[in-house]
Amino acid sequence: MKRITATILLSLAVSATALAAPKNDGRPDGGSLSYGEYGRPATLDPITSNEMVSLRITELVFNGLVGIDEKQEIAPELAERWDASADGRVYTFYLRKDVKWHARDGEDPRPFTADDVIFTYNIMMHPRTISPLKVRYEFIDKAEKLDDYSVRFTLKRPILNALAKFTFKVIPKHGPSNPLYLTREDPFVQNPIGTGPFILRNVTADREIILAANEDYFKGRPHIDKFAAKPFADQNIMTQAMMFNAIDMIVLVNPRDIPEIQGDKRFILQPYNALSYSFFGYNLRNPLLADKRVRQAFAYAVNRQEMLDSFFNSQGTIISGPFAPGSWAYNLDVQPLPFDPRKAQDLLKEAGFTPGADGVMQKGGKKLALTLKVPIEKESEAVKRVVLAFQNYLKNVGVQVKVEFKEWQAWKEDVFAEHDFDAIFASWVFDDSADISSLFHSAEIGAWKNNFGGYSSPEIDSLIVESKLTLDHEKRRTINRKLHAMLAEEAPYTFLWTLTNYSAYHKKVRRVAIHPYKFFSFADEWFIPESEQR
Amino acid sequence: MTALRTARVLAGLLAGASLALLSVPAVPASKDVATALRQYEQHRYAEAARSLRDHIPADGQNAQAWLALGMIYLKNAELHAELAAVAVDVQIDYLKKLAARKGAGRSRAVDLYLGEALRDAGRPREAATHIARFRARPKQDAGLAALAPVSLGLAQYQSRNTAAARATWAGVTSKAPEVRAALAAAYAISGHNAKQAVALADDAAAARANPGARMVKDLIAVYSRNGRIDKALELADGADLRAPSHVEGAGSGRVIHFYDLALLGELARLYAVAGLAALERAAGDAAIKPTADYYLARGHAALGELDRAQAAAERFLAVPDAPARFRDLARIHQAGLTHRRGDTRGAMTVWQEYAGRGEPELLAEVIAACTGAGADCGAFLTRAAAAADAGQGRKFAPLNVAIGRAHLARKDYAKALAYLEAGRDKSKKNKIEGNDPVMLVGLAEAYYRTKQYSENLEIYFEMSKQFPAVRQIQEAMQGIYAVEHKSAGDVKIF
Repeated sequence: MKRITATILLSLAVSATALAAPKNDGRPDGGSLSYGEYGRPATLDPITSNEMVSLRITELVFNGLVGIDEKQEIAPELAERWDASADGRVYTFYLRKDVKWHARDGEDPRPFTADDVIFTYNIMMHPRTISPLKVRYEFIDKAEKLDDYSVRFTLKRPILNALAKFTFKVIPKHGPSNPLYLTREDPFVQNPIGTGPFILRNVTADREIILAANEDYFKGRPHIDKFAAKPFADQNIMTQAMMFNAIDMIVLVNPRDIPEIQGDKRFILQPYNALSYSFFGYNLRNPLLADKRVRQAFAYAVNRQEMLDSFFNSQGTIISGPFAPGSWAYNLDVQPLPFDPRKAQDLLKEAGFTPGADGVMQKGGKKLALTLKVPIEKESEAVKRVVLAFQNYLKNVGVQVKVEFKEWQAWKEDVFAEHDFDAIFASWVFDDSADISSLFHSAEIGAWKNNFGGYSSPEIDSLIVESKLTLDHEKRRTINRKLHAMLAEEAPYTFLWTLTNYSAYHKKVRRVAIHPYKFFSFADEWFIPESEQR
Repeated sequence: MTALRTARVLAGLLAGASLALLSVPAVPASKDVATALRQYEQHRYAEAARSLRDHIPADGQNAQAWLALGMIYLKNAELHAELAAVAVDVQIDYLKKLAARKGAGRSRAVDLYLGEALRDAGRPREAATHIARFRARPKQDAGLAALAPVSLGLAQYQSRNTAAARATWAGVTSKAPEVRAALAAAYAISGHNAKQAVALADDAAAARANPGARMVKDLIAVYSRNGRIDKALELADGADLRAPSHVEGAGSGRVIHFYDLALLGELARLYAVAGLAALERAAGDAAIKPTADYYLARGHAALGELDRAQAAAERFLAVPDAPARFRDLARIHQAGLTHRRGDTRGAMTVWQEYAGRGEPELLAEVIAACTGAGADCGAFLTRAAAAADAGQGRKFAPLNVAIGRAHLARKDYAKALAYLEAGRDKSKKNKIEGNDPVMLVGLAEAYYRTKQYSENLEIYFEMSKQFPAVRQIQEAMQGIYAVEHKSAGDVKIF
């Protein structure tokens, strides 16, 4: 610890005073909250999952070394304080000593220690662990336990916003059955324990996820007794369920239902800006799709504004590239490609396609016929219309599209593991770091990695790496503007729109603050007045 | 008065819902006027003004068209004034972050732009320090280096060091059109050598077929202060208002866009002056005159011309058959003039009378007028909050918006956010057709102040489709967000 003399004390905050007690803030404990979710998560742990439904659950169950508070500042969580070296390469975290892991049935709760932090880092980075997180933590050179309640991370190089990276959720060393790496077969990913405000109680036969208040939570017991996540296959049914008091909250309101909910005084509509967009993504392993002119033709062939207006009541914005319009990285000079079917046909012809007798474009005897795979959880009326419209738009320029709806887990396996698809319709949701490296860097091609389409470009790779290495914010902005323009031109996806994000909840739930990305970060502070608890 | 200070006053005084349509019963509206007013109601001011101006008969007899044009310009002035007021803090915040960087990677132009932003924000001494720092650095961009003394002179003038300002300007030797335009603007704003300003501007304009953003701003400043409104409007219509004033590092690995903060303020001033001119022409028709007077009162008040505002308000209130609703609104805003003249008790009496009626629309106007006049509105706010919290439906939206804007002025951003959100039509979230862009600017500011940058950026993203001059706010906000965000780099499929 002699190094400490050369460190700068970046932050020293919040002593550990809230020892497993009520919050004592005058607000009542009790009541339950049921919220509607979009489908069922494949895994419930923070390491193997790459979907939003799981992210929301893990936010209730786990903690990071640091967190982000309601003022969007870095705040202590499992670490009560930290130091950073003057050169920005060494971060030392001093851990709380009053944190316990959720108890498993028949066991006493175990204390949280430095071993758990080191274990989490090691298992996350193990080559056999299936995790989208790995790419994000490659900047760390080593993690060391200094004593039971302090750990040191040494970075390969200083990076921008390094502290925010330590928001990764810590899992218990005694959690996974395999102590070396984590797979989707490990029982832990379905039945995890954490340190967070809520304890996973059970998953019902209907795949409803039940969580109970953690009486020993180190920030004080959360006010609400029980959270229940109810999966819905159809967005319209979810809204009706709230209207008939079957659920108390919808995490993301179907844009078409906004007027109905706004007109009902029982509910509050709260905007939160998850940076997200929808897209058609292509499998570039298919030689027919490897030519960018073909992918550009698809972008010209679809009338995105018409789809947005017709199927989502104009509740969104057409985008031109790989960032959401609310992001700092969006290139404002790149305009979305216009709807121009003639241009689409010209591009296909330039790429060597000619119309066959049946009107379908072909090249070298191969028809331009694609399979579009859509997860069944997205089988809302609006999404059905989008994919059918896509099918029609492409038919008009001589491209045949077969639509296949797949169960969520099967869809993920086809797309992320087997790469058995030509095109998909999906959405990405980003935190506000605007990091697209896992989507488009060639090192992210492979099973269960996010570059599912196999897009590879040395120039894009080089820009992504440069963006990660620079310590100059303006340079990083410049690089992202270039990435936006180049990926718009390369069209690995047909970038569609970002939809209006509103959550809706019953007025009985009070002091609701929503994290724009993680959603439930502040849910331990929410409460329901005694008179309205049921 | 600088354009920005004018803009701030404008923003306060034009705020509120009372620039609504006042019907003109005498003559049915022509098709062109009807079209323009429809665009006006959809808050597409530039389109509305352009289409109407193109169709007003050359003989200038179409009083209805002039009235409509006046209303459109005043509303556009209000919006740009709001934008200018918001842009000050956003730009300074961003530029300070840029200026904080040390070493070889530090921006070369940042000191000049930060100095100009501080000057426009009414902090001329700090401004002069930064501009001097810019001038002291060797190997600066030659164009900016030539402009810097003109900027410095304005800061000195604002510091009431008139002699120093004159001496600085006298030392400007560059004949570049951009410098001559900047000097002309400085003369027009300060009043020093004011007679030379137009000729200098004309010379500069003649020498540069496609003036850049900074020169456009300077020429507008000159022409709008010297009765050349059409020329100024032509420049504003023809310019690319998205364009940066200066690009540093073009072609390199790091490109920084700098914008002139004063552009938004100059546009606000121009639209206000153009609105008043159009309303004066409309007032030439006896049938239209009362209506024109109603709006003239608001426009003159916004430009700080209190006597003219008072006279116009009195003329309107003297019309025996003026619509009751507009009479009420005129009295509420006339009370704002009364307050500004120092008669607080008189103003409060009027506002209490209207607030006591319990009508949400009148209460909203009282809050807007009281806030705009800088009065103590606490009691009205309490009453209004009780009414808004108990109320239901779109009828209460203007009241929620007025309360939200009042809290914004009081820097209570959490409350501002809550009330502005309550007043927002969520089914058309960021669409200007569904929500008054002035309200959206307020909401965007509340999101900025509470560090919810992406909500702010989404609002401006939509708004930029109709109001390109917001680009400078978008760029600065992106720059702030890029530094301030704290995230791990996560992405999930949905």
